[in-house]
Amino acid sequence: MKANQTILALLTSLLASVSSAVAQETLVVNSWGGAYEKLHKQLVFEPFEKANNVKIKVVTVYSADTLAQLRAQKGAPQYDVVHFSGGQEVVAAREGLISPIKPQELPNAADLYPFATEGMARGEGPVHLVTAIGLLYNEKKVPNAPKAWKDLWKSEYGDHLVLTDLSNSYGLLGFLMMNKVWGGSLDNTKPGLEKVGELLNRSVIISSSPEVQQNFAQNDAWIAAFSQDYAHVIRQSGQPVKFLLAEEGAPAVFFTANLVAGRPNQALAKKLIDFELSPEVQAAFAREMRYSPTNRKTKLDDNVASEVVFGDAVKSLVRFDPAQVDSSRATLIENWKKLIAR
Amino acid sequence: MNKYHDDWIIAAPGILLLCFAFLVPVAGIMVLGIKNPDGSLTISYIERFLTDAYYLGVAWRTIKLSCIITLVCAIAGFPFAYVMARASPNLRVWLMILITLPLMTSVVVRTFGWMVLLGRGGLLPEALYLMGFVRRNYSLMHTEAAIIIGMIQILFPFMVLSIVGVILRLDPRIEEASRVMGCSFLASVKRVVLPLSIPGIVAGSLLVFTLSVSYFITPSLLGGARLPVLAGSIYETATKSQDWAFAAAQSLILFIGVLILLIPYISLTRKSHG
Repeated sequence: MKANQTILALLTSLLASVSSAVAQETLVVNSWGGAYEKLHKQLVFEPFEKANNVKIKVVTVYSADTLAQLRAQKGAPQYDVVHFSGGQEVVAAREGLISPIKPQELPNAADLYPFATEGMARGEGPVHLVTAIGLLYNEKKVPNAPKAWKDLWKSEYGDHLVLTDLSNSYGLLGFLMMNKVWGGSLDNTKPGLEKVGELLNRSVIISSSPEVQQNFAQNDAWIAAFSQDYAHVIRQSGQPVKFLLAEEGAPAVFFTANLVAGRPNQALAKKLIDFELSPEVQAAFAREMRYSPTNRKTKLDDNVASEVVFGDAVKSLVRFDPAQVDSSRATLIENWKKLIAR
Repeated sequence: MNKYHDDWIIAAPGILLLCFAFLVPVAGIMVLGIKNPDGSLTISYIERFLTDAYYLGVAWRTIKLSCIITLVCAIAGFPFAYVMARASPNLRVWLMILITLPLMTSVVVRTFGWMVLLGRGGLLPEALYLMGFVRRNYSLMHTEAAIIIGMIQILFPFMVLSIVGVILRLDPRIEEASRVMGCSFLASVKRVVLPLSIPGIVAGSLLVFTLSVSYFITPSLLGGARLPVLAGSIYETATKSQDWAFAAAQSLILFIGVLILLIPYISLTRKSHG
């Protein structure tokens, strides 16, 4: 009996090693397209593929759609690691779509700032990058540089405004901030909707990140409410676009890397998540697109450090409670659609 | 009887595929739209749609645009199809290539092409500006006209191919007879060819109409967030608001709406033209 078991165990381990040698393991992950996905591949996926002899299949899906897909695939999940930027990890964790990770399972988790790991206790993935939402403006075109969110309502910017649809995480956070400066709250989005309604005839509404760049390049945009990462991309492309952390505060976008539940390759998936938390990867993200690192061991060059909110300063960014945002999301998006529809 | 039996066996794989890959999932989605989370039947989602001016507006825009698209395709498609059918075989091949070639390119790619042509400084607005019709910053993007232009380009081949098939089957001697009897060319086309090609025009219109009410990529890219159409609204409700039941209810309404429009259309044309 015992001998049988040993032989069986030997055979299975042999089989396993053979099959892994033959079929390269594959991880399926999502990324968000545009300049971010390009960088994500270059800094994370490609080095990880080489170092671990795996194949990473990247699917371009925004956070909200990713959550919708995870729900639809609940019986047979297709992703190994999912990235969220709109707080969807709160919902995914609550619905059991993602697996909790213990901080000790990720070697780099010990070096993260507390804000990056606090969600892990609720079953969410760690925060690997942070970016801020503020105002992008063309420094050569605007008569006066904006200082505050409320400056968007100044008539001197004419019809050169760019607003972002709320189906986009950045657009949602930018809107919530505008709502906040006009006296609204997560429970009461009326002030924001009313005030943004005043801007509609002067603005172009976009829904994906590359469109911001396109509007500055081709459509004579002067000022846009968007994020620091793309502000840097646009500036690198040679346009005189500057990023402003508005004086009323800048909402933080937390990028989380989450482990999908019910997938066979969780150990490898965790390794990928841990790799995204490493100081080297985060320093490169900060250098290339001005993302704020969440690992306190990350070393930034001076010129990068001066432009990036990092360390404990991240706490000064405005953080909207993702659970609360989620509970009002559907109603808010519907009201928004009604507001903007012609 | 036996022969009939064999037919069924031959058709079985196709029917099974249609059942399990189409009818069952579609029925599942439809049911989702009239069910409460606890499983009891409800019309609350349908009611929500029908009592909300916003969604009725979205539905109206969808129908209006689809009607315009269908009409333009039919008006432009019939003469094109007639020329194609009556042209020399050599020329017909070239026209066929011309009309089907765009189908080889992805809809998304063609839509992006339109975005370039219709956007600020694009070919069309620039031409209008040079002719003095519009101001310099004029853009056709994010207008209903952009949706109509983009959709016509995509759906035009369906209309032409449906009509051409019918005209090709017409006996040219009928036309010759009408000319001999004293019809001018235009009168012969109007009084002989057009009535006889109605089945093709109807088939093409049905195809174009049903495709255009259910398209969402082109309208959402060319129309932007401020001009929602029904298919785009279903997509947004399902993925952005994550409200599957309401999305299913909207699909159900779209489905029933198309049926209501189509059934009388088909039966009417069947009655008058055998």
